[in-house]
Amino acid sequence: MSHDSNSGLVGERITITADGSLLIDNVDCTVAQGSLSALVGPNGAGKSTLLRALTAVQAPASGSVHFDGNNLLGMPRRQRARLAAFVEQDSTTDSSLSVDMVVQLGRLPHQSLWEADSAESTAIVSASLATVEMTAFRDREFQSLSGGEKQRVMLARALAQQPQLLALDEPTNHLDIAAQLAVLELLAHLRTTGVTILAALHDLSLAASYCDHIIVLSHGRVVAAGATETVLTEALIAEVYGVRASILTNPVTGKPVIGFSPA
Amino acid sequence: MAKVSPLTFGAALAIALLVSITIAVTIGPADIRFDEVWRSIGSHLGIGVSPLTELRDGIVWQLRLPRVLTAAAVGAGLALSGAVMQAITRNPLADPYLLGLSSGAALGAVSVILLGAAVLLPFAAFVGALLALTLTLLLAGSLGAITPSRTVLAGIAVSALASAITSFVIFWSVTGDSYREVLSWLLGSLSGARWPAVGITMVAIIVIGIPVMLTGRLLDSFAFGDVQAASLGVNVSATRWGLLAASALVTGAMVSVSGSIGFVGLILPHAVRLLVGPGHRALLPLSALLGAVFLVWADTLARTLFDPREIPVGIVTAMIGAPIFAFLLTRRKSST
Repeated sequence: MSHDSNSGLVGERITITADGSLLIDNVDCTVAQGSLSALVGPNGAGKSTLLRALTAVQAPASGSVHFDGNNLLGMPRRQRARLAAFVEQDSTTDSSLSVDMVVQLGRLPHQSLWEADSAESTAIVSASLATVEMTAFRDREFQSLSGGEKQRVMLARALAQQPQLLALDEPTNHLDIAAQLAVLELLAHLRTTGVTILAALHDLSLAASYCDHIIVLSHGRVVAAGATETVLTEALIAEVYGVRASILTNPVTGKPVIGFSPA
Repeated sequence: MAKVSPLTFGAALAIALLVSITIAVTIGPADIRFDEVWRSIGSHLGIGVSPLTELRDGIVWQLRLPRVLTAAAVGAGLALSGAVMQAITRNPLADPYLLGLSSGAALGAVSVILLGAAVLLPFAAFVGALLALTLTLLLAGSLGAITPSRTVLAGIAVSALASAITSFVIFWSVTGDSYREVLSWLLGSLSGARWPAVGITMVAIIVIGIPVMLTGRLLDSFAFGDVQAASLGVNVSATRWGLLAASALVTGAMVSVSGSIGFVGLILPHAVRLLVGPGHRALLPLSALLGAVFLVWADTLARTLFDPREIPVGIVTAMIGAPIFAFLLTRRKSST
């Protein structure tokens, strides 16, 4: 993997506060270009907050974020939204938007306010739906979908932005196991198209199976980062999560699976 | 659910509006025909000669036409503001008067009526509305970061206070004629609308309303909340406060000539959503058009239903609006 300082996502000295409390404490982190990386850590570690800062959705109190040399915090919002997409945890709406309209939202940074949807835009929306295998659902109401289907639609919305960087906050949250694997398989597929992906994940086994890099966050600080097999050790899990972990090998995939027991 | 095409619906509404305005002008004690209305209007625009006597021409040009046009503009402004408020507060029950606007306007209006300076009424109502809005935002700001829910709560507090003062003033000092005048304004009425009212409301629609109608895509991006809107490159706070201020100004202009007419801003955006779906690029202009048609007819009913007595149009919109609102509630329950 190429690792010159200008490529990929580079966050430096990121500090985020809210209502006087320190959420992210002077964090440096990098995500290699074209990698599929996981951001892990216990609840309250600051994963969502850091993800929002790394995609410049919410500006940090201080620090810098660059992607492939572009200053994400300094560039115009629309331009940034064409470069970096962010998928929230549990996207919900009261609106009766159709799947098609939800994915269209991703075209917003590419369109002026009152132009008709161009043929190109419509084609990109269709292609995004096809990528997540939701074409058959395009006229359905978003709210009527299952959790896994919703997550795939939100992923298509992000793809319609045609981003080079994709950040996802707990994309497998509340999904059944098949849907969780489907989302991760999709991310692995997208990664092969050159998109740099960073996903906050709760499930360490999923992270270990699909991600080549892992950033471990605890109490607003990065406590470990690097290649999955070097970072994800039984000792580290014990330290960060306060549980006893046993790293085993999945007999089918040959990838690590992690068993837990009380400390 | 099969939706109506927004373009078809828009074209139908535009035609309905023109026809409604013309028919509404023909309706009333003096019998005036459809074609006479158009020829009279034409004569005042320098085309042809009015077929009507001076008196009857005056009824068309000085009384009915400005009133009907004001009704159309007020209906459009209220429905548009309602649709915008519902989107930016993500509250389906939001209406244009949400942030204390109508109570502030009422206080301003009642004060000048009692001071015998009723000519200042539109101005006082507008100032009252904006003062109430300012107070609401200051109060919301003093509670911490200004969020939609805090703003709505602050609006309720300010409304309650302004209404209490208004009630006190009425109770303490209103007598005889001014009582009728105050009551008719509080309930919403277009009976006094002449060309200056057309001017105020049309300027509000053209200068503020039309630019607001072009922000549909931005409002769509709020469907999943602020974070998603921000992730799509939208300047969330500038958009929210800009649109809030714009809707407040439009509402202030409308309330200054008509008093507070309820239900138009609350109900009509929901009706349009049912027909064409939730996309705001269609919803905003179609709500405005439907609001215009609706209020033209509501006001026509208000002045003819109990002829020769006139009732405040706010009573008519509430009589029609409340059952529709109840229907929407039951429908909402069954769909979620």
